Amino acid sequence: MATTEAAPMDEKAKRMRDLLSSFYTPDPSISTTTSSISTSFDNINGPSFDADQYMDLMIKKSNLDVLLQRHVQMAAEIKNLDTDLQMLVYENYNKFISATDTIKRMKSNIFGMEGNMDQLLHKIMSVQSRSDGVNTSLFEKREHIEKLHRTRNLLRKVQFIYDLPARLQKCIKSEAYGDAVRFYTGAMPILKVYGDSSFKDCRRASEEAIEIIIKNLQTKLFSDSESIQARAEAAVLLKQLDVPIDSLKDKLLEKLEQSLDGLQINPEEASKLAEHNDSSKDEESNNEGPAKIHEDAVRGFSEAMRAYREIFPDSEERLFKLARALTTTHFENMELYIRKRVSAADFLGIFRIIWEDVVLMDEVLPEAALSDLSAEAAQVTLKQFVARTFSHLQQDISDTILKFDINQKEVVDGEVLKVVLEASGKAVLQGTADIFQDFRQLLDENTGIFVKMNDLLIGWIQKGFQDFFRSLESHFLVLSGKTSSSNETEGVTEGKSSEKIHAGLILVLAQLSVVIEQKVIPRIAEEITASFSGGNSQAFIPGELCRVFHAASEKLLQHYIDTRTQKISNVLRKRFKTPNWVKHKEPREVHMYVDMLLQQLEEVGKEVKQILPQGTFRKHKRSDSNGSNTTTSSRSTTLHSDKMARSNSQRARSQLFETHLAKLFKQKVEIFTKVEFTQESVVTTTVKLCLKSLQEYVRLQTFNRSGFQQIQLDIQFLKAPLKETVEDEAAIDFLLDEVIVAASERCLDVTPLEPPILDKLIQAKLAKSKDHNNHNTASS
Amino acid sequence: MQGGSSGIGYGLKYQARCISDVKADTDHTSFLTGTLSLKEENEVHLLRLSSGGSELVCEGLFSHPDEIWDLASCPFDQRIFSTVFSTGESFGAAIWQIPEPYGQSNSSTLDCVASLDAHVGKINCVLWCPSGKSDKLISMDEQNLVLWSLDSSKKSVEVLSKESAGMRHSLSGGAWNPHDVNSVAATSESSIQFWDLRTMKNVNSIERAHVRNVDYNTKREHILVTADDESGIHIWDLRKAKAPVQELPGHTHWTWAVRCNPEYEELILSVGTDSAVNLWFTSASSEKQASERSTEASPQRVNPLLNSYTDYEDSVYGLAWSTREPWIFASLSYDGRVVIESVKPFLPRR
Repeated sequence: MATTEAAPMDEKAKRMRDLLSSFYTPDPSISTTTSSISTSFDNINGPSFDADQYMDLMIKKSNLDVLLQRHVQMAAEIKNLDTDLQMLVYENYNKFISATDTIKRMKSNIFGMEGNMDQLLHKIMSVQSRSDGVNTSLFEKREHIEKLHRTRNLLRKVQFIYDLPARLQKCIKSEAYGDAVRFYTGAMPILKVYGDSSFKDCRRASEEAIEIIIKNLQTKLFSDSESIQARAEAAVLLKQLDVPIDSLKDKLLEKLEQSLDGLQINPEEASKLAEHNDSSKDEESNNEGPAKIHEDAVRGFSEAMRAYREIFPDSEERLFKLARALTTTHFENMELYIRKRVSAADFLGIFRIIWEDVVLMDEVLPEAALSDLSAEAAQVTLKQFVARTFSHLQQDISDTILKFDINQKEVVDGEVLKVVLEASGKAVLQGTADIFQDFRQLLDENTGIFVKMNDLLIGWIQKGFQDFFRSLESHFLVLSGKTSSSNETEGVTEGKSSEKIHAGLILVLAQLSVVIEQKVIPRIAEEITASFSGGNSQAFIPGELCRVFHAASEKLLQHYIDTRTQKISNVLRKRFKTPNWVKHKEPREVHMYVDMLLQQLEEVGKEVKQILPQGTFRKHKRSDSNGSNTTTSSRSTTLHSDKMARSNSQRARSQLFETHLAKLFKQKVEIFTKVEFTQESVVTTTVKLCLKSLQEYVRLQTFNRSGFQQIQLDIQFLKAPLKETVEDEAAIDFLLDEVIVAASERCLDVTPLEPPILDKLIQAKLAKSKDHNNHNTASS
Repeated sequence: MQGGSSGIGYGLKYQARCISDVKADTDHTSFLTGTLSLKEENEVHLLRLSSGGSELVCEGLFSHPDEIWDLASCPFDQRIFSTVFSTGESFGAAIWQIPEPYGQSNSSTLDCVASLDAHVGKINCVLWCPSGKSDKLISMDEQNLVLWSLDSSKKSVEVLSKESAGMRHSLSGGAWNPHDVNSVAATSESSIQFWDLRTMKNVNSIERAHVRNVDYNTKREHILVTADDESGIHIWDLRKAKAPVQELPGHTHWTWAVRCNPEYEELILSVGTDSAVNLWFTSASSEKQASERSTEASPQRVNPLLNSYTDYEDSVYGLAWSTREPWIFASLSYDGRVVIESVKPFLPRR
């Protein structure tokens, strides 16, 4: 109440309100007075105010002036409070009086209301009784009218039934089967009830008419010439006539199934289809291509499905099945198709057709989840296509390599190996480029499904390349006979004739591996990064492949040398196994195995020349690679030639001593250096290995004087031609000497041939071989 | 690769081809080696590794009448060994006994226990029965296989049986199966033949030409290792002898000999005419063939070559693991240098 009063918030009013509120609220803590509890006893407004104490405090604290002043102030305040209180009391009293007045007025107004109410009730009652009177007086008439109306309806119905046959006939004539059926089904309940008695004739006539209608409808349903729409309507009508349509449905669906065969894409015709598809795309006028026909057929099929679906809602499952079957057969046929060699364009053509079919069907039957199904199938097919393309390429390459029927003579004389290398190198390079083009085409395709599979496809392609090169590498190794050990044994036991692959081809494979490592793989890597920069799959790892092929090329080169040295080794083995060296006869001529040896080396040289690049001429700069060797070995040669010059006059023992001494002076000549991809390196390695073998064979025998001399003669003869073919003369010298040394160590009586005799025999041999050569060239 | 600084060397006076572990000597790691010299007086050296393993001491030096082509120590008596020798024109084989207080005189003579004189042709090797206690021996020449029974106390040998392998197969060496004392593998020109000693019949063979050396894996039954001239080392499972279980590249030139470690089944040593000794690690047993294929496909193929010891001047022909300390092997190059090496750094962790 105090708050409502204090509208102008002046100082006085505020104080007033504070005081009043403190009066009404017993809790001092809520009071808005600023004084705290601790100072409450000297707060004149506080509830715990003690007047005596306040007085004491006042007196103690203040002087007289202040007290007087305080007194005046207080007296004024008290007076103020008094008037305020008086004001309040007066106001309240005023309000109370006005309230009493209002209540008095209300009381007087209510009088007289009850009487009016009673009057109203009475009047309403009389209105009701009168209306009841009217109602009863009119009731009979109304009833009569209703009866008349019912009879009229009945009569109209009877009339309709009597008219029904005629009406049906009319409908048949005008082919308005829909109306006829509607009429008939309308009359059906009556005919059912009264058909046996009063409407017999009528019923019969109308049933006959309906039978005609049913027949007509059925023929319409089965006639292919009718539009799907019409057929569907017929089916609906038949269904309304309660004709058992399940059998009809089965028949129809069977028909539909049969029509599937026509829709299949034959693997044989697929390519044709694809071609025409393309051409029809190019020129719109050419509408009658097989692709167009196919498209129409599929459209018809999907229309039919749509109709059937409407007609037979319960046949959905079966339609789904059909549509799926069509899709799967499509993809199955596709798989059959790509089993053969198919270009990406053709593949794409077929794929587009199938996808269009799927889209068409999917429109009709979205619930069949055809697009999912076909997406899955398409993934499989596409994956297969990628894999197949790669396997075809590998087949191509291996065919190119094996295509050339190589026999010994051609290889040596002609340039067959070179041709093979070039052809196969081109096959690899071109093949991979083509394949890449094809895949680019696939990637550029923007049919819905391809877009979705783009990432996958990129992954597959990368993986495809990776796998392709890996399998190519192992294929090379198998081709070379390196990994399949059964081949190898045959080759060794039965000699060169039964070897599956010519040694030269191993060399081709080795060089091809180098080409792949250095050219093909970097190019593919480049193209892949250029094309699929978006894809982050790392399936194609060029570094690893390069390593693989690098290793393969070295392996193959080694294998080539191995097979070559094996052949030579066989020659040498036979040479050393057969004679009894301890009872050897005096040497008459250079043994013919030397010819075979040289011939083999010559073959190696010719093969190598066709395939491998010429090495940088190393003879002059050998000093920088292993300088110490050069100097020491050259010293050893001079020492050795000295020795050879003097040896004929010396005792064998001192000669042996001298060779040991010579050995001390020269360092170990590096016989088994790493093979390089140069003509010289391969030839040198082969020769070195052969000479080493020769030395080992010699060490296993024991010779008499003549045996030793034979070896000496053979080696002396070999010296000149070998040095001609080989880059590392020092090593060859060393190895040839080693053979002589080995022979002398294993000889019971070391007496070398006199140089003139040696010379004479060698000259004789040279003359003979020249003769032989002349003879050969003359005859050929 | 690594230098031979870790190896302990010993020089023979002449060229030599063969070295053998003295298996019966359980107190010391010893090797026997014999020289191959056509014109000088040949010697047999008994070498012993000092207890610290830092020195190779010559315990005995015995003269031998002819150059030694093969030498094998008796598995049950450390003083007995066999040699195959040649005079240059003819071959012979004999069993020798080291005289009792050996190591005293500089060149004492050997006691000839018995001469295995049933051969005419070129004798290849003498094999002792690996069972340890048995006194049976086999000697092999190019055509024949002879099974002997030795009575060392009576100093006599007796031919138990003899069988010809036929003229066509010229035998070149062999190994006695440590898992089956009745089975011996012999290498011939075109195949590896397996002989059953009870019937003295060739019961099985692997078609493989020019196998130079063969050794059984003492730890794994059915596993055989062969060395070829050109195509390296092959590991065979005798139950599936059609194709090798594993191939190792071998040596740059011929692989002359292979030896399986007597204790660590995965380790194989080979020596070759490229003056190197190679230590191989073969993880594949026949059961793991499938897994081996998969590892082959994997990009990082494990290099089976653990180490190559190349500190040799000449072709290495002789090779022997020590039975007593299976991480030690002795190798012998043609120039008569014996090198003892330890493969301890390469032992597989178990």
